[in-house]
Formats: sequence, C-alpha cells, structure tokens
Amino acid sequence: MVRVDGTVADIQRALKEVGVDLAPDEARRIKSLIGRDPSVTELYIFDIMWSEHCSYKSSKPILQKHLPTEGSRVLIGPGEDAGVVRLGAAEGKSYVLVVAHESHNHPSQILPVEGAATGIGGIVRDVYCMGADVVGVMDALRFGDPDGPRAESVREVPAGVVRGIWEYGNALGVPNVGGDVFFDRGYAENCLVNVVAVGIAEEKEIIRSRVPQAAAGEAYDLILIGKPTDMSGLGGATMASKILDESEEGNLGAVQLHDPFLKRMLAEATKAVIADLRKSGIDIGFKDLGAGGISCAVSELVGAGGFGAELDLDSVHVAFDSIESYAIACSETQERYCLAVPSHASGKVLKIYNDDFELPHIYRGACASVIGRVTAKRDLVMTRAGEVVADLPVEIVNQGISYDRKSEPRPAPAGGDERPDAGDIRSACLSVLSLLSVCSKHYVYRHYDSEVKGMSVLKPGEADASVISIPGTCLGVATAVDGNPRYSRIDPYVGGALAVCESIRNIASVGAVPVALTDCLNFGNPEDPHVFHDFVETVRGIGDAARALWGYGTEEPVPIVSGNVSFYNESSSGSAIPPSPVVACYGVLDDYSVAVSVRLKQAGSDLFLIGKRKSGLGGSALMAAAGLDGRGRLPALDLTGERDAIHAVTEIIRSGHALACHDISEGGLFGALAEMVIGGWGMGEAGAEVDLRPDPGLTPEDMLFSECGGFVVETSRTSRGEVEEILNRFAVASEVIGKTVSDHVMTLKIGGETVAGIEGSEMREAWLSPVEKAIG
Amino acid sequence: MRPHICVIQFPGVNCEYETARALETAGLDASIVRWNAPAGSLSDYDGFILPGGFSYQDRVRAGAVAAGEDVMGVLIEQAALGKPIVGICNGAQVLVESGLVPGIGAQSIDLALAPNKGMGRDGYYANWVFVRVASEPRRSAITYGFKKGDVLPIPIAHGEGRFTSSEAGLFDTLEKSGQVILKYCTSDGGVAAGFPDDPNGSERSAAAISNPQGNVVAMMPHPERSTWLRQVPDGLDSVWSRKRTESRGSWDDLESGGPGAGIFESIKTHIEERV
Repeated sequence: MVRVDGTVADIQRALKEVGVDLAPDEARRIKSLIGRDPSVTELYIFDIMWSEHCSYKSSKPILQKHLPTEGSRVLIGPGEDAGVVRLGAAEGKSYVLVVAHESHNHPSQILPVEGAATGIGGIVRDVYCMGADVVGVMDALRFGDPDGPRAESVREVPAGVVRGIWEYGNALGVPNVGGDVFFDRGYAENCLVNVVAVGIAEEKEIIRSRVPQAAAGEAYDLILIGKPTDMSGLGGATMASKILDESEEGNLGAVQLHDPFLKRMLAEATKAVIADLRKSGIDIGFKDLGAGGISCAVSELVGAGGFGAELDLDSVHVAFDSIESYAIACSETQERYCLAVPSHASGKVLKIYNDDFELPHIYRGACASVIGRVTAKRDLVMTRAGEVVADLPVEIVNQGISYDRKSEPRPAPAGGDERPDAGDIRSACLSVLSLLSVCSKHYVYRHYDSEVKGMSVLKPGEADASVISIPGTCLGVATAVDGNPRYSRIDPYVGGALAVCESIRNIASVGAVPVALTDCLNFGNPEDPHVFHDFVETVRGIGDAARALWGYGTEEPVPIVSGNVSFYNESSSGSAIPPSPVVACYGVLDDYSVAVSVRLKQAGSDLFLIGKRKSGLGGSALMAAAGLDGRGRLPALDLTGERDAIHAVTEIIRSGHALACHDISEGGLFGALAEMVIGGWGMGEAGAEVDLRPDPGLTPEDMLFSECGGFVVETSRTSRGEVEEILNRFAVASEVIGKTVSDHVMTLKIGGETVAGIEGSEMREAWLSPVEKAIG
Repeated sequence: MRPHICVIQFPGVNCEYETARALETAGLDASIVRWNAPAGSLSDYDGFILPGGFSYQDRVRAGAVAAGEDVMGVLIEQAALGKPIVGICNGAQVLVESGLVPGIGAQSIDLALAPNKGMGRDGYYANWVFVRVASEPRRSAITYGFKKGDVLPIPIAHGEGRFTSSEAGLFDTLEKSGQVILKYCTSDGGVAAGFPDDPNGSERSAAAISNPQGNVVAMMPHPERSTWLRQVPDGLDSVWSRKRTESRGSWDDLESGGPGAGIFESIKTHIEERV
C-alpha cells in the first residue's frame, strides 16, 4: 500500500516515488473513496482513468451542454468506442456506419513514425471492436511552418508522420479516404495528428463494448487476445494529458509500438470467432485495449453491463516474467482486445485464435488467453501470485472526476478590417495557389493506399470528399475532414462553426447528405482561462452550426456521434497551438453514381456561383500569403445562408445536373475556380472565363479571395432552367458567373474588365509542387 | 460449370476479398483459403491467385517468408499441371521469391522485385499508370482477352515493384521468349521514358512477367482495383476515363467492367480452353 498521509509535500513525494502524475488532492480523494490507502497498481489505475484523456475532466460538462448528439439515424452516440449511425437499406440489408475520431498528437511529436502509426492502430481498433469492418481512415495533420524558425526539426515531423501513416495503414489494408494537411507557425513544437476510422457493418452485426446480460445467468470468461503485454505505452494517456517537455526522455517509453501485421491477423481471426459465436446464438462483449490497457478495458466492459471482474494477472501472456503487476494492469501494449464469452465457449475461441490462425506461430508471444471471469459482485479484483494487488468498486474506477475550469475571454484584438495592400491580382492568385495549406497534397497522399478493398468511387484529391461504395449496392459513403486554425485564431466561435460548415459543404459537393459528424478538439492548457475560453467558444460554435445545418431532407441537427478532446498541446517553452477544432463529416449517397469531382468536364458549360460574396479577408489564404495571418475581419457568419446553399447544391447534384462542383473555402472563389481548372489530380483540360458583377460593398479581393463559403458548380447549358428553378426553390443567392472554355486558361473579369488571365499550366505548376519542396 | 479459383490467404495479405469479388464478377467462383489448409484440399481448384498485401510483414524481403511455406510446394505441383497461378503485387513478390517466375532454372531464383527507383522520392507509391499488353494474347493466362498492344489504365501501390536481376542477359531471354507480359507505357502506348510513366524503374518497364509456359504470372498492378468502371479516375487520358465520366448517373454502367476485368476474364478463358 502507498501511504497517503501527511502534508501535500509528503504525498507528492510518495506519488512521485510510485511514478504517477496524480495530484496530492486526487490521491486524498482516492483514499476517501475506497476508505484505505491505495496499492501501487490501484494508483496507476486511477492515474489513467482520471487523466484528462480518459475522464474528460475539464471538458465533459461543456460538451454535454452544447453538442447535439441524437437523431433518428443514431444507434450509438458518444460514450462507447465508436459512434454508430444508420446509413440505409440495400439488397435487403440494413447498413450502419461506425466512426471514431481521436488525436495522437503528443506521441507523434516525440516519435513521428511510431506516433502516427499507432494513431491509426488505436482508432481502427475502436471500430473493429464494434463488429464493423474498417473501410477507411483519414488523417488531419497540422505541422509547423517548414520555412519558419526551427525549420529543421519542423520538417522532420511531417516526413516521419507520413511514413508512419503509410507504413501502418497500407500494411493493414485499410484505404486512406482523405484527410487534410495544414502548415502553420502555431504547430512548430506541437504537431497535431488527428485520426478518423470509418467502418461499415450490417445493423445486426454491431457488438457492444459491454458484458451481455446473459452473464447474470451463466459463467462468463474474459479472454485477452493479441500481443504479449509489455511495458510499452505505459502512461500514454497520462502523457497526453500534460504539457510536452521534450527534454523528458521518459516520454519515449509512453509511445506504443505498432504492428499492422498482427492487427490484420487479429481482424481476420476475430471475424471467424464472431461468425462462429453468432451462429451458435451466443451473446458476447468485445472491447479494444487502448489507454489504460487491461484495467481500463475490463472495468468499462464489465461496468457497462453492471458486473465486476476477477482477473488473474498470472494468466496474462506477457513479454517477460519480471513485469510488475501495475504494468500488466495498465500498460498500453498495442494490438490487443478483450472478449467476454460464456465459459463453455472459451475453448472454441482459443482454438480459432491459437490453432486455426496460429497466432503464437506468426507473432512471438501473441495468443488468446483466459485471464479472468465476470462476477456478479461489482468489483474489479486483480490477483498476482495469489495476492490481491487491486480491489476497487468498478463504479468508482469508471466514474472519473470533473473540474470546473475558469474561462476568460482574451483581450479583443487590435485593428479592424485590415487588408493587404491592393496589388496585382494575378500575382496574388499565384501566391495563394502555392501557399502550403492551399496547394495540392498529392505528394502526401501518393504514399497512401486509397484503393485497397476495391470500393473507391472518388479518391482523395479528386473531389471535396472521398466516396466509397458498398459492394453490390448503390449506396455510397462520403467522408471529409476540416478545420482551419486561421479562422479560430481570430474568433474561436466562428472557427468551430466553420469547421462544421466546411465539412458538410465538402460532403454536399459530391452530392451526399450528412448523417453524422465527429470532432477532435485540440487546445493548449485548459488550466489557462484564455485557452479554456477558446475551448468553450469553439464547442459552442460547433454545436450551433451542427444544429443550424440540418441534413438535407430532414429538420434534424447533424449529430455529433463521437470525438475526442486533446488538451495540453503546449510545449514547456510556453508555446501553445491555436484553437484547433477538427471536424469530420460522413455522408450517404442513395445512388453513388451522381457523385462529381472538382475537375471541369467540358467546354461550353455554365459556371454557377452559389452563396453570397461577403466583405472581410480575415483568416483567408490571401492574408496568410501576405504575412497578415491572424489579422483582419472574418466575413460575417450566416448559418441559414450556409444551409440553403448546401441543400440547393445537394439537390442539383442528386437530380443529375452537376458536371463538377467545388465548395468555396481556402483561397476563396478564386481558389475554387482554379482547382476546377487544374483538376484535383492536376489533369484538367477545360478553362474558365468568369465575369463578376461589381458590388459597391466589395473590393476585388473580397470577391475573389474572401472565404465566406458557397459553391461553384459546372452545369450543362441545356439544364440552366432546371438548375435556376432549384436555386429559386431554396431561395439561394446565385448567378451564372461565366462559362467553361476549351483553352486551358482562366480569365477573371470584374464588370467586363479583365483583372487576371492565367494559363492552366502555370497554375498547375504553382499548385502541384510546393509540398514536395517543403517536406520531400 | 464455373471454374473455381483458390485465393490463398497468407498471414498479412489484404486484397483477398476484393480479388475474390473481381473473380466472381468475371464469371469464376472464388474461395479464400488460409495458408495452412491441408495440402490435399487444394488440388481440386482450377487455378490460384496470390493476392496483394504484406504477407508476413515483408519480413526478410517482401514475399520471402510466404515463398517458403508448405503451400508453395502444392502450387509448384499444380503449376506443372498447367493450371493458372497469378500473383498480384505481394503475390507477385511471392512467386518471384519462390522461383516460379520466371521459372527458367529448376527452382532457382533468377528475378527480384527491388525497391522502386528513379522516382525522386522514397518509399511507397500509389497511383494510376498505363500498361501495354506486350505479348501475344495466348502467351499468358492473363491476356487471352486482349490484343497485343492494348493499353490499360490500372493502379499500382507498392514500395518494391522493380523487376530486376543480377543475371546478365536474363531480360533479353525473357523478352525473346515473350515472358514479359505487361509493360508500363505512356497513355498512347509509347515507351515509358521515366517517372511517372514508369513508376518504379523496372527493367524493360516490365509490369508483369510469366513463366515459360505462361500459366504462372507475377504482376505488380492491381486488376481488382480496376475491375469496375467506377474505380477508374475521371481525368486520365484514356477512353476508360471518358467512359467513366459519361456514365455519371448510371449505376449499371459504373458497375460494368473496367480495364482490369479483362485480366480475370482471361484467366477464365485460359482455364476453359485448356480443358
């Protein structure tokens, strides 16, 4: 037992000796909750379960207050490993989408390859353990400015992260279905690696992360499957819950080691196990091991079903015999799952893993072992060599703690509607196109396998969202992930709202209807009232936008079904990241065949501009290219206008009138038009001739570069009447601003006067090459 | 009766399911069979596919560990019977590591699939490329449905796909005997002069090489990722891309055959004509 007695300094010393990060007050609280001094193993359990990462101790009340999480399609919302929503029925089957979204920021900063790889490894487990097949992953990456201070170390991170992602994802055989990459000075010492996993299952195949009620009537075993438990990743959740000190070598051990090969084998073997148990009508509980390892997975698995567990730590297959009990209980060794099955079925389960799939033969020390049993008494009891090393009420382990953090607005930024000096529009266009956050990310995604599984319809880069089809059906699933720290830096509320708007716009641009959102909220230290205020405002913005932009054909908010909060993205030198919400949107296409890419398809088409142009260049790529990031005024947020534009575009594409579509985000109207001319993979052939109507309230820069939302849609001239009818029906500001032409040139006019004419090939070069030059 | 193909599931492969679907779409039956299945259960199949992925984690070299598994002994016997055996991507690496391709010396390993070269970048590369049918249609199990000179857009995704050999003159021999089945090329079928038309620096731009009999083929591109028209990207300089773009709004057309479907249909014809 560890004595929790005496002064704060005494307790601190005792905690330090054990090696946990709990505060002395928290240790006292543990003692009063369990009525005695805790054991070392117990302290480790609380250290993890009460970490920010696991307990959401700062964020939970804010999330609950602001985010809509329910809806008619939602089967499982936040709280389990992954969110589950209904997609639709086809060929007599009801399909569901299973989505999870997480950060792996701290590990990726310390060890980029391993950190990014285990990021994927962790998130796919969350989806696999719900009984779904993982059909896609996305990565939202935020790196420092490769031309800024500390350029050398800043550049090493993206190279390593990209390698970690391809090495893991490609070997696992899960296609990369999009993501985004942003370079900004704010991430020089804290990169962000946010990962999303997308799964598909039939509704009846969903497995819960809880011991089934059947365990009240018959004996249930707990089976641990996978890699032998070692010391790796010990304290990973705790590390993710504090400020990163790069001098702390101890953190290296907190990054887990990845193994996609074993993961793939476990997925295949588990598929066989589940099919077998389902055939026999046996109810099971299944959960992946992530933060907190065995103790966390088991306490949540049994707790959710209203049970307890007795674990024999000597039965756990370990990498070396001298491993301490607390490490067996809490290590975050990768590639492990826990399964609750009736004792009479355990032999069969072990045989499939250990004999049919030969786990011990193909990976040293890997296997499936019975490590304990489910009990009616709701305690988590662990023994080692006959001695009890932990005995805690499950409820106390799972309930977590919560903190009321202070929130205080930042002082209002000085300056008003700041703008770059009016200059040559043509050179502004080219500098925007070659800005690292705007330009093509092909250098990155050509490392990723985005076609394995053979389901692809639109691949990363081709369109605003990726689209995959469910084989043999008309159903398509569209995915996109967004978040622009430049907006958040000026106004975190608007930044949160726009992350939602943009992700839904991206889904709409391929003709899909949003069915769910997930979010990963990346911030600095929540104990700083300004940071916490940024957080609260961001969440409020996300919630308001999700409620306002209800899905086409419904009047329901787009539900947020899963997500993650990552605080302490701050280095010991005191530099914190800008508020960084990352929002992923998932959409459904009843008939994927209508989906369109961004590339202009032919000469002689109409180009419709949908959505009103507004004044304000704050947060724009133009400002960033001019070195004025963080300054200026954001264009006014109009969620109703966003919704109407989104619904109108959805209808235009669904009715088959669209040939190409691009939302207006980074780079403004110009950026959208340019990418349509260049083509998402740089294979555009048609050009565009655009003439904008002058507006006394707007400068040419506002018209071309303001990032105020909307869409550009290419439609055939013969369908102009029908398209206009749809736009009138949704009462959306829109006009035909020009046409496509056979010469591969973009000509921009305002009021009949040419402001810029650029060859497609020149734009292509400016847009395709920067990322490779920066990080290649 | 539809020919029945066995898709071998080595630990770590990951393209077995879509490969089986592609076979079924082409009119064959397909079963996914674990690498440790009893040897006797395999001889009833009409042909074998070694699908893509990362068998045994690319330990030692890509394909090397799988090439030493017992099941390869069965495949060597079945190959001698003239049954088609096609390795795709990692499967190609296994066939090369086992010596089945190019299959000239008795069980000797003459070829290698080395790390990509000459692309100005490291590691894995995934993109669409063009390949030209470089042999007479009936020269190999995968080309029965094509004409010599046909050009197909098809995706590749690998880090080690460069056909090479330390043996002087081997590629002359292979070319002469018509064992270089597919070659990377430009969109109009011209010689691929360098990256990106030639994505990996392969000798003679080889994308697929067979054994002397033509029934065992190692191919790096992924036909199962271009089996359905919807998989073809819409901007390539190819009739297939234009057809894809024109098929917008028609699910039936988008689910119809893409450029890679002909590979699997060829395997079917090869089996039927052999019997």
